[in-house]
Amino acid sequence: MAQIIHILQTQGSDIVGAIGQHIGLSLISLLIAAVIAIPLAILLMNHERWAKVMLQITSILQTIPSLALLGILIPIVGIGTIPSIIALVIYAVMPIFQNTYSGLTTIDPNLEEAATAFGLSRRMKLFRVELPLALPMIISGIRIAMVMIIGTATLAALIGAGGLGTYILLGIETNNNALLIIGAVLSAILALVFGAAIDWLGKLSFKKAGIVLLTLVVLIGGFAGYRKLVNPQTTITVAGKLGSEPEILINMYKDLIEHDHPNIKVTTKANFGATSFLFKALQSGSIDIYPEFTGTVLESLVTGEKSANHDPAKTYQMAKQALKAQHQMAYLKPMKYQNGYDLAVTKQFAQKYHLKTVADLVAVEDKVHAGFDPDFHQLKDGYPGLSKAYGLKFASVKTMEPSIRYKAIANGKVNLVDGYTTDPEVQEYHLVVLKDNKQFFPPYQGAPLMTEKLLTEHPELRTTLNKLAGKVSTTDMQKMNYKVTVAHEKAATVARDYLRSHGLLN
Amino acid sequence: MIEFRNVSKRYAGNQAIDNLNLTIPTGDFFVLVGPSGSGKTTTLKMLNRLIAPTKGDIYFEDKRLIDYDLTQLRLQMGYVLQNIALFPNLNIQENIAIQAESLGWPRKQRVERARALLKQVDLDPDKYATRMPNELSGGEQQRVGIIRALAIKPKVVLMDEPFSALDPISRKQLQDLVLQLHKELQMTFVFVTHDMHEALRLGQHIAVMRLGHIQQVGTGEDIMQHPANDFVRGFFENEHAPRPDTVQSLLNEGYGEVTTAPATLTATATVNELAAALKGTAPVVVRVGETSRTLSTPDLLDYLATKEAD
Repeated sequence: MAQIIHILQTQGSDIVGAIGQHIGLSLISLLIAAVIAIPLAILLMNHERWAKVMLQITSILQTIPSLALLGILIPIVGIGTIPSIIALVIYAVMPIFQNTYSGLTTIDPNLEEAATAFGLSRRMKLFRVELPLALPMIISGIRIAMVMIIGTATLAALIGAGGLGTYILLGIETNNNALLIIGAVLSAILALVFGAAIDWLGKLSFKKAGIVLLTLVVLIGGFAGYRKLVNPQTTITVAGKLGSEPEILINMYKDLIEHDHPNIKVTTKANFGATSFLFKALQSGSIDIYPEFTGTVLESLVTGEKSANHDPAKTYQMAKQALKAQHQMAYLKPMKYQNGYDLAVTKQFAQKYHLKTVADLVAVEDKVHAGFDPDFHQLKDGYPGLSKAYGLKFASVKTMEPSIRYKAIANGKVNLVDGYTTDPEVQEYHLVVLKDNKQFFPPYQGAPLMTEKLLTEHPELRTTLNKLAGKVSTTDMQKMNYKVTVAHEKAATVARDYLRSHGLLN
Repeated sequence: MIEFRNVSKRYAGNQAIDNLNLTIPTGDFFVLVGPSGSGKTTTLKMLNRLIAPTKGDIYFEDKRLIDYDLTQLRLQMGYVLQNIALFPNLNIQENIAIQAESLGWPRKQRVERARALLKQVDLDPDKYATRMPNELSGGEQQRVGIIRALAIKPKVVLMDEPFSALDPISRKQLQDLVLQLHKELQMTFVFVTHDMHEALRLGQHIAVMRLGHIQQVGTGEDIMQHPANDFVRGFFENEHAPRPDTVQSLLNEGYGEVTTAPATLTATATVNELAAALKGTAPVVVRVGETSRTLSTPDLLDYLATKEAD
């Protein structure tokens, strides 16, 4: 609770911004969906067969998982707000269409007959009789769509459209329940508030409801237009994966580029989601640069030699050449730190048995009770390979969810865990990372990835971004991650402080 | 004048109307009567083209019905439905003026017309004009249903069993009302019913129908005295039979006032017994279902006089 209050105090304005984005995204999508679905239902109300076809189509669209839909949309329309709105509209069309259609087609046939027999025009029949009678159904359809949109809009954060999902994804990624709760509770509150607002709107007369809707459209449109005017055209978009580390890095890129080249404006899109989203976004040109790990490039982005070389420099060269050959992409020089698997023990345990390297563990292997992430426990690059390479066999090994591991070692349930080298928990729980002296773990070094086209247009970027080459040690990264995820400092501030204190920025 | 010339209507293998020839004089109160499945409602709905004939032609003022512009035709024909069908989203005056609205009358004129019609059927406009349909009783709703059909002064008013869902009291009151309105407005009324008693009470001319055929057309008296065939004789037999009238007959006609006093006579008592009871000083109270009604001497006299007139 105290943590939630702390976050609300320090990041209040960001959260309000995210709520604003969430509302904007949801309302625009809902409005577009209604503008498509309601007239369509009116058009098809007397064509049962076509209406059935349409219902089928919308139902099928409904079954596409939202993540898959976003993935499909990225190569077509890129990232950010537009694909999010398209996806949300696709989901929202069905409930509105279905309810409007059944509202219009289940009107008491006697009332339909009366309206026909009185010689009412098609228009008058629709607006004076049919639509008002179907209105409760239409409103409930819009309500269902609204709740669905507000829920699904949290996924928009994955592709850089922002909103409350940013906090939910961050919370999941960093095992920070406070962030998760803030994101989830706020979206639930939004759903309730908008549900009530729609009910209220449904009770108004046609004319009043129309005025309210029109005002909303003008307000949102005006706001969007104002933002467009205030924010000048940007030239370079830097995105980052989910989490504090990429967010710190992209803020460093931004500061360096804008410092060296005042004519270039950089926008950052943090917490963009998984590797494939970012890579597709880069290919489609929706983003220009993002930091990627050498190991990940070889593992998932290029084809060919799969087993990563255990020498960091060779790994980087392989990744660089494969990216150039297969995707026409430029991969600048990596930073110093490695973000790969590691083994960590408590300080007391390390001191007691004088542990510095993984090889030191062999002597005390019968005293080691390990807690491993299930992946690490099974992967060739994980415990099975490690145990072969070092000739290790621990006394006991438990598998547990990644987020629980650190708590388990802190509570003394286990005395050794696997982790990522830059995890802030190493700082938080005062752990010691053992040196992988046989270089068993594949190297994961971060470096800026961009298209060759961008580098040809802006060759100056190479010098600027290469200032980071060989900089940022593993401890530096751990400390910065700690500041952002545990102490809740802003990533931008943390990034700038680092650049200043290391003389990269004045 | 409306004329059916050799009109037939088939529904998927089923002959609803078979070679119908019929003339309805202008300004008449014309009743189509027959059991269910006789084709009377189909005949009525062909007049405002809710149903199209399979064969033959219908003439309205010497012009074929299908040569009229559909909207123009329907705006000359008022329509009263069996289940009333007031639009639940519109208030009473909006319901009444819906055809006027469709014709583009100014709002002021529409309100005036609605209020005048409400007054004409004894519904206080100040009280009823802006109420919603579900706030009215069934009888009140059908009054509104009737005046809605009259709002734009149509030449013809079509009524499809408008009173069959009402209680006997409301039915009698509304029968009186349509008779009075017909007298005042001089429109052609075409009225469908399955109740021969209602037909005799209302119709200047009556067409008796059965299985899509006209059995007989004529005044009530003609048909009663010279039934064309056994079916017509059978259909009207109940009216001939000199059965002893009971108190129940009066109640069925809607006589009596609701009261909470204890019952003094049963509904099965004869009219003669009622007359004897009325000679006394105590009020005569009859139990009817959940409520009781008190009957007066004028009720009995009125009942007997109406019966004589029929």
